Amino acid sequence: MNIEILKSIIDNKKKNSDFAIITNLMTGDISIFKKELPLNKNLENYSSEINDFFNNKKTGIIENSELFIETFRRPTKVIVVGAVHITQYLIDYIKNLNFEINIIDPRGYFASKKRFPEVNVINKWPDEAFKEIDTNESTALIALTHDPKIDDPALQYALKKKFFYIGALGSKRTHENRCERLKKAGFSDEQINLIHGPIGIKIGGKSAPEIALSIVSQLVLISNNR
Amino acid sequence: MSNRVDEKIFEEAFDWININNKIALVTVIKTWGSSPRQVGSKMIVNEKGDFSGSISGGCVESAVVGECIDLLKKDKPSKKLDFKVSNQTAWDIGLACGGEISVYLEQIKK
Repeated sequence: MNIEILKSIIDNKKKNSDFAIITNLMTGDISIFKKELPLNKNLENYSSEINDFFNNKKTGIIENSELFIETFRRPTKVIVVGAVHITQYLIDYIKNLNFEINIIDPRGYFASKKRFPEVNVINKWPDEAFKEIDTNESTALIALTHDPKIDDPALQYALKKKFFYIGALGSKRTHENRCERLKKAGFSDEQINLIHGPIGIKIGGKSAPEIALSIVSQLVLISNNR
Repeated sequence: MSNRVDEKIFEEAFDWININNKIALVTVIKTWGSSPRQVGSKMIVNEKGDFSGSISGGCVESAVVGECIDLLKKDKPSKKLDFKVSNQTAWDIGLACGGEISVYLEQIKK
């Protein structure tokens, strides 16, 4: 590998692109594969195999060849509602994982760049904030304000958009009330049951970093089982 | 098996090259049986034998570091290595998990 290829790999990671590295294990030739770029001439014979690996996000040696293909998956988008104490720990844990964080909080004293220097912080109400973020069925929502005024609109948006993970902080009681409100707003039991509430897996912790860990664990679990 | 961009080994490799001029990048290309690290796992090594990252969770790292130093000293571009339990060297190295892995070593120069 030469340093130009290395730079290009780092650059593609930074831009959150989907890409693959294809190495010829015999010759040492390396190329970067992207859906929108033409395939290197030397690889044309393996076009269908390469696309199969890429589309299925597989990494390995293409059978009966000397080609090793490594597919890189863009990070999963996670939207955290509430720039609260738990969120600070959450970001600490998540930075070593394959997630991209966006924080929404209309309360300026919480959602400051000073408290969250490394992530995208949107200091708006959820309905406005979601206009600035591309979301789809591969997006996750973590609602942490336990304030219905802020959490509920975000939860409703996530349910409508069919986010793959939706979690909301709050006690069992808080969650029951939340479910009632969503029911009144017209959501079915089936939809409401998709919300992980109280959020997180049971690890027996009460402190902010422990709650953050329990949420991140659940997010990783659900992401890996998709 | 899919690879993830969560590990920072490429970024680290880039920093290392700026300091060491050349390094070896090691990638797990195939595994059989129970091996602790998945295909695509990486490690970087410099001429002094400093390393970062992991390819087996400790089983074959020391042998691979030796091979990397050799690769860099002899200025070879790349090399493929297989570690199998049936292979006496691998046994001595101790792939304790009982798995087998193939790794690919490549030199990256400034």
